[in-house]
Amino acid sequence: MSDVVIELKHLKKYYGKSRGIEDVSLKINKGEIYGFIGPNGAGKSTTIRTIMGLINKTSGNIFINGKELEFDDIDVKRRIGYLPSEVNLYGDMSVKELLDYHESFYKENLTKRKNELVKLFKIDLNKKIDDLSLGNLKKVGIVLALMHSPEILILDEPTSGLDPIMQNAFHDLLIKEKEKGTTILYSSHVLSEVSNICDKVGLIKDGKIVKEDTIENIKKDNYTYLKIISKDIENIKKELKLKVYKENNNEVVFFNNLKPNELLSKLSKYNIESLLIEEVSLEDLFINYYK
Amino acid sequence: MIKRELKANLKSFIIWLFVLVAMFLLVYLIYPYIITDDSMKEIDEMMKVFPPEVLKAFNMDVTSITTAYGWFKTEGFMFVLLIIGIYSSFLGGSILLKEENDKTIEYLNSLPIRRSSIITNKIIVGVFYVILIVLLLGIFNFISLKISGDLDSKQFILLSITPVLIGLPLFGINLFISTLLNKSKKTIGISLGLVFIFYVISVLSEISENVGFLKYFSIYTLADTRNVISNIEINPIMVIISLLITVGFIFLSYVKYNKKELV
Repeated sequence: MSDVVIELKHLKKYYGKSRGIEDVSLKINKGEIYGFIGPNGAGKSTTIRTIMGLINKTSGNIFINGKELEFDDIDVKRRIGYLPSEVNLYGDMSVKELLDYHESFYKENLTKRKNELVKLFKIDLNKKIDDLSLGNLKKVGIVLALMHSPEILILDEPTSGLDPIMQNAFHDLLIKEKEKGTTILYSSHVLSEVSNICDKVGLIKDGKIVKEDTIENIKKDNYTYLKIISKDIENIKKELKLKVYKENNNEVVFFNNLKPNELLSKLSKYNIESLLIEEVSLEDLFINYYK
Repeated sequence: MIKRELKANLKSFIIWLFVLVAMFLLVYLIYPYIITDDSMKEIDEMMKVFPPEVLKAFNMDVTSITTAYGWFKTEGFMFVLLIIGIYSSFLGGSILLKEENDKTIEYLNSLPIRRSSIITNKIIVGVFYVILIVLLLGIFNFISLKISGDLDSKQFILLSITPVLIGLPLFGINLFISTLLNKSKKTIGISLGLVFIFYVISVLSEISENVGFLKYFSIYTLADTRNVISNIEINPIMVIISLLITVGFIFLSYVKYNKKELV
């Protein structure tokens, strides 16, 4: 028995002729947090909406707990908590009315869990949905996604609009969920945001997963900033064949992944005024993959 | 979900009902002042100016507008049919699509509820409101006209039911159209346009016998008010056709909605 909870196989979605996603394959094991990272327009939301059945896949397969997902399978939906990137709820309802409405769709009594979450996120139950700020609306969205204690959480840019304190509270909550065995698909365009809590990261670009690895392994690629000031800079550029991060006259900052000995032997032929090697931020690492 | 839908659509229901009631109330209040013996003669003179075809189109050849009930059966009922037609169309066009326009569909879809249940709940509420507006308006007019005197109760009751025969198919047609559209405000124009086109076709078909065949292309033919006023009966064929159109379009809406891309 495999413990793969979510599996996508060559998932493809075209809107007419325009690409939504080209080829997305991934596996998420039980109790794992999977960071689904990519720039805007890469296909993150399309992938998620296809899983949620809002849109129809063009081809490929979606498996939940090893079973191919069928259209409108409400038993699966009952086990999923979903937070869309933009939370849109019924503006005429109060928060309390909406949470009660949500509860009415589930057989179990959700009151205890609901009260815990409301307290944790300091939600004002009497406010009208229309009167909520973006951040507070997001918090209500989080409560809705978690209220029925789902086995699977699908979160699309969950922290946008949340202040840092709430972001931390939310991340702590996700870690607790993970410990309980909840499987989490966490989409974000900021790698550093998820790097602390994710077990695995999948990078999506132009509708394809371009890299999938653990955070440790991505860091293991050992990218560094290599800053060189030299009059021979043009020749050095040709010699190293590295990607240029920044440049200004004789000063160039490279994305470097050469082994130290290799780098030194290549540079030894040139006259170098200054050399600086620094660790690359996750952000830049991320950008490096996409540019 | 039904409770929520009833509440969500209550406001517009009250507004439409209020518009209809206010309009009729106004007419009933001022009617006694307009219709005096002198003005009746003037109206008779005026009527002679119109060609008989036009009078026929407004049922003015089978009834007289010298009483409030007479007015109700002619011009008044034209408004009832038009406004209930527009209300039903709007309701059909918006009740499902509103979730997509407001982007609340993303939330609704994440709940453990089948798409077909979503549509069923919405249809129940829509049909309920179409029937309710006809019923409440009928009761209001019945009381008002009873107070003002002369009224053929059976004729009135049958006449008051006829808007349901156009309301339900218009609800169904617009519901179906809304399943073909994606997130758009176009439905308001389509709903309104459809009602007017059907209405104009129906009037034209009454005015000229040359284009009498047009009546087969208008939902308004189903109201069949001439027959109701003259013969005091509702033609069962009209009821059957009305139900068939309604059920047919509702069925198509289910089929289409179950395949629809909801974003």
